[in-house]
Amino acid sequence: MNLKKVLTRDAVMIGLIGTSKNEIIKELVGLIVKNGSDLDEKSLLKAVFDREAQMSTGMKNGIAIPHGKTNDVSELHAVIAVSAVPVDFECLDKKPARIFVMTISPASHTGPHLQFLAEVSGLLTRDDLREKILAAENEDELLKIFLQGQA
Amino acid sequence: MHEGASLTHMMTVLVLQLAVIILAAKSFGFITSRFLKQSSVLGELIAGMVIGPFALGSIPLAFLGGQSLFAIPIGADLPVSPELYGFATVASIVLLFFSGLETDLKTFLRFAGTGSIVGLGGVIATFLLGAGSAVVFIPQVNSIMNPTALFMGIIATATSVGITARILSERRKLSSPEGVTILSAAVLDDVLGIVLLAVVIGLVRSGRGTDSDVDWGLIGRIALKAFGFWIGSTVIGIILAPRITKGLKSLKDMGTLSMVTFGLALMLAGLSELAGLAMIIGAYVMGLALSGTDVAEDIRHRLDGLYNFIVPIFFCVMGMLVDFSVLPKVLVYGLVYTFVGMFGKIVGCGVPALTMGFNARGAMRISTGMLPRGEVTLIMAGLGLSSGVLDPGLFGVAVMSMFISSLIAPPVLVKAFKGGSGFKKSLDTKKSEDLKSISIDMPSVSLADFVMTRLLTAFRQADFFPRRVGHGNLVYAVQKDAVQITLLRDGTTITANVPPDQETFVRLLLTEEILSLKELFRSVEKVAGSDAMERDMLGGLF
Repeated sequence: MNLKKVLTRDAVMIGLIGTSKNEIIKELVGLIVKNGSDLDEKSLLKAVFDREAQMSTGMKNGIAIPHGKTNDVSELHAVIAVSAVPVDFECLDKKPARIFVMTISPASHTGPHLQFLAEVSGLLTRDDLREKILAAENEDELLKIFLQGQA
Repeated sequence: MHEGASLTHMMTVLVLQLAVIILAAKSFGFITSRFLKQSSVLGELIAGMVIGPFALGSIPLAFLGGQSLFAIPIGADLPVSPELYGFATVASIVLLFFSGLETDLKTFLRFAGTGSIVGLGGVIATFLLGAGSAVVFIPQVNSIMNPTALFMGIIATATSVGITARILSERRKLSSPEGVTILSAAVLDDVLGIVLLAVVIGLVRSGRGTDSDVDWGLIGRIALKAFGFWIGSTVIGIILAPRITKGLKSLKDMGTLSMVTFGLALMLAGLSELAGLAMIIGAYVMGLALSGTDVAEDIRHRLDGLYNFIVPIFFCVMGMLVDFSVLPKVLVYGLVYTFVGMFGKIVGCGVPALTMGFNARGAMRISTGMLPRGEVTLIMAGLGLSSGVLDPGLFGVAVMSMFISSLIAPPVLVKAFKGGSGFKKSLDTKKSEDLKSISIDMPSVSLADFVMTRLLTAFRQADFFPRRVGHGNLVYAVQKDAVQITLLRDGTTITANVPPDQETFVRLLLTEEILSLKELFRSVEKVAGSDAMERDMLGGLF
């Protein structure tokens, strides 16, 4: 999958201010709602929290991938954001997270969501890219890291 | 046939024949698959030879009034009764309908590249060698445009990839570059074989396939007509099939839907015969048209019972047609024909593979994968025999080639797939890296089955095209663009074999699916946990 199609300047953000899992998720959903048109924030939040209740999406290396499936959206929505401070996200390695990848996808069409996550996870396994992401000073720089990392 | 024999007597004999055929086919099939580790098809074929009119079937039986059970009808073209041959004909339609259903045209068109060239090479080489060998070895045949030579040519082209698919999936090699190439080459092989058959039958029927005076204009017209009918009905079928199945789905009865589609397959088979082609062409086209619809898998599942009943009868009847008395005379030609058929596949498929980035090892793997022969060889040979183009000796030659190829291919194939990469060194990129295996263990077979169904749906929702590989295998090739994943269930274990660059994707997909399953089971527990359901069920009983 070509990340360019999903990731735009508005879909990345640095300096999330939340300090808890709940706050971070609300911020990320808020960003998706702001970028989209006519999205129901409540139903998106419910989808993400329902998924989180099954199993935490905190991975390793300070990465979390909160996501949800709901038929209230008709296509894949994705954002990538970095928080100002490390946040406890119930990660697999018990360490706090700073890099967040959120996707909301239609329940009956999960291909793009999984492709996107697989693509991004491929980049996030690289130590050099993770360091660059955490050091990014603005959104343009963050976006560039992902788009150039894929090339 | 038997003057004065009452209809009841004829039907009694038929029923007894079917009984003996089914019992013999099933027991011989069981022995070959269980103890000899060979395809059960070979056992069914041997069963037919053993109980047929040229062996045990010729023994007069007192309770049939001194008549033998498989008496050769007097003055008929075939050594079996027309009623019995009717069953074999319907079976050949079932076989080709299934073969069409198993073809995923969409997937094939997307991965066609290497596979088509390999398949095309194999078809051309085997056709020329098969037809050529007839010219050299059969005195009455002087040109490869002679109908007999043409038939020996097309019979040599047929490949039955089911055996290959089973072996490769057992060895987890089905998703290897070689495995993918074999599967798509086999599709082209089927389609080309069918179209060639149409052309040859057209030529034979027009009486213009001769030794001399080759009228290329006429051949062109017949080829065009045959190809036109094939492509025309396929395109119409592909356009109409989703509408027809959608309409039928409103019946909310998959059993009815499946039988209606089979009825349509019989209809198209008959129509294609009337159009001067062979019945199996119509059956294949109907299957092909339906293969792209979402009910294809369901149709196959519902028709399994029919398949299991009638297909062994087919192989058994084909075995009965083998007249041992003529075999010694054609033994040498039979061996030569078998050998050139295999040689044609190895050279015809191997050389194109070599030019497409495979090394000698890879090319050998692909070409040995194309060696097994099966039902299509026999159907074509049966058509040749019943239309008088092939004599019993040449029919025996065709059966011999099918038999020997299917016997030799599996061990050779297993050996070929040992060792390192099948790619040329310069091209040996990550593509040839070993596949990653991801396994999930389930507590019971029925749960594993259920989870398998869910996983296939999950892959479908992720834009993949799952299709079952071969009949009776619990192996699915799940394809999307250039990616192929194999999913198989062995007992209670579900395994996914994936290329390394897809591992993350598949792990994510499996995780999501397992989570939603757990959610499902939790909701079941909630209902079941209260005991209220069971109490309601048993409420008034005691």
